[in-house]
Amino acid sequence: MSEMYTYLDAAWTVEARKRLEAALDPEKMNGITTSMADIYEACPDGKSRWLFVQCEGGKLARFDVGEGEPPEAEFRIVGSYATLAAISKGELGSQKALMTGRLKLKGNMAKALRLAPLADRINKVLSTIPSNY
Amino acid sequence: MSYENLPSSPCFIDNRARVVAIQSSMKARGLDLYIGSRPRTLSWVLDAFVPWRSYLVIPAKGDPIVFTFIVDSTRLADETWLPQDNVRAYAPMGGQDQVSALQSCIQDELGLSKGRIGVETGLSVYTPEGNLTKYEWDALEAALPGFELVNSHELVDELQIIKDAGTVARFREASRIVDEGQKAARVALEDGGWKGMTETEIAGIGALAMRRAGSVSEWNFAGLNEISSGYRTALGACTPPTTRVFEAGDPLMLDFHSLFKLAMGDHSHNYLIGPATKAQRRHADNFVDLVATVLAAYRPGRTPSDMASLMMDRAEALHCADFCYPGCEHGIGLWGDEWRIGARNDGPFPYWTDPDHVYAKGEMLICAMQYASPDEKIGFRYENPIVLFEGGCEALSKYPLAIEEIR
Repeated sequence: MSEMYTYLDAAWTVEARKRLEAALDPEKMNGITTSMADIYEACPDGKSRWLFVQCEGGKLARFDVGEGEPPEAEFRIVGSYATLAAISKGELGSQKALMTGRLKLKGNMAKALRLAPLADRINKVLSTIPSNY
Repeated sequence: MSYENLPSSPCFIDNRARVVAIQSSMKARGLDLYIGSRPRTLSWVLDAFVPWRSYLVIPAKGDPIVFTFIVDSTRLADETWLPQDNVRAYAPMGGQDQVSALQSCIQDELGLSKGRIGVETGLSVYTPEGNLTKYEWDALEAALPGFELVNSHELVDELQIIKDAGTVARFREASRIVDEGQKAARVALEDGGWKGMTETEIAGIGALAMRRAGSVSEWNFAGLNEISSGYRTALGACTPPTTRVFEAGDPLMLDFHSLFKLAMGDHSHNYLIGPATKAQRRHADNFVDLVATVLAAYRPGRTPSDMASLMMDRAEALHCADFCYPGCEHGIGLWGDEWRIGARNDGPFPYWTDPDHVYAKGEMLICAMQYASPDEKIGFRYENPIVLFEGGCEALSKYPLAIEEIR
């Protein structure tokens, strides 16, 4: 039986980083250099958290989870814990969440649209981590 | 990036100098930011075709940022001089709708928390004027507490009115292209070529010739290439082509439009499809006389009202005043700017041409004249961009002024 992780805790973050490094092919990631901060509002413990992903040349350069002010990112996506967790579980598409206003994006939309498939690839990897939400 | 604007080209436009001029005028008017929404502003600043609702955010310093409909943002980024990152999209997504995108840009990116924002609103007979709507005004006010919206379109209008050398060169080329359309139409009509031909067909023949000569569009939202024949020549100044088939004895008006680097070619030429009656010939000669009289009189220092008086006096002398519209011009600039004369909204009727506007050197307008005798089912139209110089004007279309009889 595979190990269960607690979504967004330290062990989950280490596992997510490991899986992303293994799964993300720089070629498939179009050699992209960008960064994105997901802001989780109203987590189960009442706090807010952020999840930060940075890619350089299509390779994962940084993946972190934290509290407080997130690192400077090219894109910032704000939503409830429930919405962002549903995306990580693969239950909700990020595009749909944006189009229905459940997520708010800050950053250059014209560029974000081209990055959407890449974000989906990241979420697909995260959805494979057995987690308690 | 396909944008091309070489300093060595006669069509060169110093886009950053235009932005600096706007910013200087903003400072003088106490504006912290300017949001342009009219196509005429977008064309003038971005040097690109911007057909979808867009918002040009001009800060006090630095390059502007434009927000356009997401379906067209990539194309616009390719065709404007602005850095790609300054071309943004709005979309029906959280935080990315028009108002949220502007709010985030102003507050988060530009770091402004209060101030005066110049916007563009007003009244226009021109449907695609692009004035800020009441909804947009209210939504921006609600999203930006601490900011005051100020109607400031005159700021841009004043900077646009005197045309720089690059703009005039572009209009010369657009007019050369229109003349190619007129030549092709003439060839198609002569020697009985007009028989069985429709207004839409001659519009297309002109369009093809202009496209081959370098035009990218027939631009005119009121009907692209406007054509009228027979009784339709007396219907006024808006005649989108129909499938009416030409007949012997018809008057025929061809109003062709070309677009070259956002400069709008616009030349109307008239014919009589033979056999012409004496009455038709007399009307035609009157109209040519009137156009020649007006073109010879345009110069800096004139006003729309004294030009109209001059034209009507000549019409009275020719006994054709009953058939003339008392006006002989409309404004013109880069795409989106084709209506009001002058830059200031201080005439007797808000947002109409000030009849006492004093023309200045470097100003450009369309000499536009209309003649109609509905009872006799005949009318004519003349349009030609002119640029004013000391002591006169240059008519940019060089197609000979005449109303020929073709058979």
